[in-house]
Amino acid sequence: MKGLILAGGTGSRLRPITHTGPKQLVPVANKPVIQYGIEDLREAGITEIGIVLGDKGREEIQSFLGDGSEFGVNITYIIQGEPLGLAHAAACARDFVGDDDFVMYLGDNIFKRGLTEMVERYETGEYAASIALQHVDTPRQFGIANVDGERTVTELIEKPDEPPTDLALVGVYLFSSAIFDAIDELEPSWRGELEITDAIQSLIEDGHAIDSHVVDGWWKDTGKPEDIIGANRLVLEDIEATNDGEVHPEADLTGRVDIGTGTTIKAGAVIRGPVRLGENVTVGPDSYIGPYTAIGDDSTVGGPHIENSVVVGKSELTADTRLVDCLLGRGANIASADGLLPEGNRLVVGENSNLKL
Amino acid sequence: MRVETHTCPNCGTVVAANVLERDRRLRCPGLDCGEILDFTDLSEEVREHYETNRDRYRLE
Ligand SMILES: [Zn+2]
Repeated sequence: MKGLILAGGTGSRLRPITHTGPKQLVPVANKPVIQYGIEDLREAGITEIGIVLGDKGREEIQSFLGDGSEFGVNITYIIQGEPLGLAHAAACARDFVGDDDFVMYLGDNIFKRGLTEMVERYETGEYAASIALQHVDTPRQFGIANVDGERTVTELIEKPDEPPTDLALVGVYLFSSAIFDAIDELEPSWRGELEITDAIQSLIEDGHAIDSHVVDGWWKDTGKPEDIIGANRLVLEDIEATNDGEVHPEADLTGRVDIGTGTTIKAGAVIRGPVRLGENVTVGPDSYIGPYTAIGDDSTVGGPHIENSVVVGKSELTADTRLVDCLLGRGANIASADGLLPEGNRLVVGENSNLKL
Repeated sequence: MRVETHTCPNCGTVVAANVLERDRRLRCPGLDCGEILDFTDLSEEVREHYETNRDRYRLE
């Protein structure tokens, strides 16, 4: 079985963070989102992986993943160009996949439990495809699957007015090479894209069996800032306390705090886990880092109270202020305006930024 | 819908035919590859299909 990670898309909902890099490299708990997909595939025994890239961010993603050897996998890059739909992305991988089955994984999704169970079940049956599903509270906003008692999919409906179930499609699919013939027959949808749900629906109509797997634990699509902060929170729930740095005996740490190499926590700093600190981070006195915060490499926290936040890296946070639910891009600095006249905030803010002061 | 690709003979990067049709001639997008890929690397029949159906492979 092969793997296919879709890493195109413009990341427009994550601006300004994605002005300077692709959304698949935004870190969750200090690890780029796409790395979670690579690791899930590898844990399911899949090491031949195709990465589908769009026009944006393709150099950055190749630079990060390289040939895959650093991650224990072998990567082939597939350039899709314009985002012509998930089914178009899949079809671009036809030569790469050959006659194998393959997992298609959306590169901005994160799953708590990985893929192993879904892959094992698929391999024991005679299925043309398998889809991952999750119970959702608002089925009218999702692509919804109807399934029979054996979990075989009977119907897919996009944003139904009267949802037959609350089972939404989430970002992992297993396909046999039968999917390529179905895509051949597709026409673009009203939005000009080749829709993967249309391809799966046509497999159903042609009498193929489609399995389904309700994902265990949480699943997150990290398309928006609040999703990154939410996924960060979910990943940090499960971290272990480690210390590869230096913690002053008069620093106050409670809960699980994961401290990277070269990181220093000074006397008087207060940290309440779960918190992850990257490499070469300095946490000064009078700083408070609260639960569900990840601070990326080469950052300084000297003064603020920060919690439930993601700091990508290379930031200097020295203002005596409260920061909650923040997503701070690489190199973003927050210093004090105290003593400056006239009084007021001094902001240099990139396009599409959001501030609540 | 028909989807064709071309594989870079130097580095193995796969490039969708719609990219070759749009850019005509490009440096291989594989990092540090440098191979020049050309629309004419595709067969005449594939080129004709993509030129005839250009709009279907463009979002705007
Ligand atoms: Zn190349």
